[in-house]
Amino acid sequence: MRRVAIPPRANWRERAEHSGFRFHTIDGEPYWDESAYYAFTLRQIEQDIEAPTEELHAMALDLVGGIVASEEQLRRLDIPEPFWDWIARSWQARDAHLLGRMDLGYDGHGPAKLYEFNYDTPTSLFEAAFFQWQWLDDQQRDGRLPVAADQFNSIYESLVEALATIAPRLPRPIRFAALRDAVEDQGTSDYLRDCALQAGIECAALAIEDIGLSADGRYTDLDDTVIGTLFKLYPLEDLFREPFGRHLPDSGLRLVEPPWKAVLSNKGILPLLWEAHEGHPNLLPAYFDEETEPLPAGWVRKPLHSREGANVRIALPDGQRIETAGPYSGPAIRQAFHPLPQFDGRHALVGSWVVGDRACGIGVREDASPITRDGARFLPHAIVEAGTATLLA
Amino acid sequence: MKRSRTAALLIMGATPLALTSCSRETQTEGLYTSVEACVAQTNDSYNCQQAFDEAQRQAHTEAPRYASREDCVAAHGANACQARSDAGGHSYFMPLMTGFLIGQLMRGGQTVGLNGSPAFQDRAGNWQRPATPASGGVYRPGSLGTTAMAPIAAQPDRAPTVTRGGFGSRSAGSGG
Repeated sequence: MRRVAIPPRANWRERAEHSGFRFHTIDGEPYWDESAYYAFTLRQIEQDIEAPTEELHAMALDLVGGIVASEEQLRRLDIPEPFWDWIARSWQARDAHLLGRMDLGYDGHGPAKLYEFNYDTPTSLFEAAFFQWQWLDDQQRDGRLPVAADQFNSIYESLVEALATIAPRLPRPIRFAALRDAVEDQGTSDYLRDCALQAGIECAALAIEDIGLSADGRYTDLDDTVIGTLFKLYPLEDLFREPFGRHLPDSGLRLVEPPWKAVLSNKGILPLLWEAHEGHPNLLPAYFDEETEPLPAGWVRKPLHSREGANVRIALPDGQRIETAGPYSGPAIRQAFHPLPQFDGRHALVGSWVVGDRACGIGVREDASPITRDGARFLPHAIVEAGTATLLA
Repeated sequence: MKRSRTAALLIMGATPLALTSCSRETQTEGLYTSVEACVAQTNDSYNCQQAFDEAQRQAHTEAPRYASREDCVAAHGANACQARSDAGGHSYFMPLMTGFLIGQLMRGGQTVGLNGSPAFQDRAGNWQRPATPASGGVYRPGSLGTTAMAPIAAQPDRAPTVTRGGFGSRSAGSGG
């Protein structure tokens, strides 16, 4: 794994416009950055990322049944009691899941370490599945990358296949919803809907704020049609706690991601995984944090529901402390500090995608700070055998 | 190759591809709880009766079978289960067919085929039909369950909205 400088495509902004990629620059700062790429070897991808991703995914899914059947565990995960039965039913029925991303600490050597799962509302999907794919294709055509270069990225094909597989079991009509003004969420939701249409699923978009509620407790779209299945890019735990949420268990609404994902999109899964597989090479030690003592050096504290690296507190091994701002509070976990690898002074994080149950691609995010925040840049990657890339770049 | 062979966009591009890939044949489907209800809606007593008879024949072979009354009741509710026995004298339970579907295959505005199939209900009253469970490929075997029932799309589901705006109070983006 190396960070390799490469000239950006002269027309990349045009390419972005043409593919509807509207958030390549966020608040004047570049988000998409193709002035460099990460080069992996095939062995690194297959042995160190792909195989552990599938294993970690299977280990996590194996825990779900036990958790949803245990009041104690659901309480530890701070999941509100009115939703316990509904979550358990959705697991028993194996309501279909579609995708998730796990964040890995990996520097090219040794086992990748799992930082967390983003298994409910993963973003950076479009840039991983489509835009970095197009980048590689363009750079190969322009002769800047060898024709033999590849990319760990069958996310698009896997999405269309998964959507076609689950389509027959989804109640109609199908709607895709995200927050109206969240450009990145809208872009991600649009991309999912694009793939759904390619899989032959008739569907329409809707803003989360526009969802209605009928007198008999069913959710409706703007035509007053009862929604059968809602692909929602909106956190389950927020749906639970908002005014309409109490109707979810009896509404008959099918959600994708399904209710049982509330167990996996919760940082509490990290200590539960450690309990079940202590010492696993891809896991970091993790415990529920009782906050009875100050965070010891060498540990990281994360709220159960924190996203985008918000409200994370780090006590570095040398005693120095780092803390990020954010809206999250409530119960938390602590995880052993494992520094992000640095390349040219930047901290790189590997986001490893799982569609259905298949590990099918990665996206690399880069941040100047040791905590990856929502402003972290997305850099493309390629699989090249050592030596060839630098010569051509 | 570790990457997709292509990466296509349908609606996101600036010049979206026209939605022309839809099949020329369309299938419409009606769900009815009795022959009388079907006739009232379609005015076609012959096809309603034909579809009902075909659905009933299929129900005997395609309805899910349960080893105990409890299992059947758990899936379909207390008043929807009946005892049966197979040729070897082994008894089992299956749900009653509480509705039937008429599928109508249209081509160029002409009806080119009609078929009937059975509909059942789960314990919450949701309509469903027997289906082969999906497996393989991108999902691990058993990952989508072993239940062989699929929801029915033809639900006459319209209900007036009385309120909106109870979701989405979160101000920032949601992704992670």
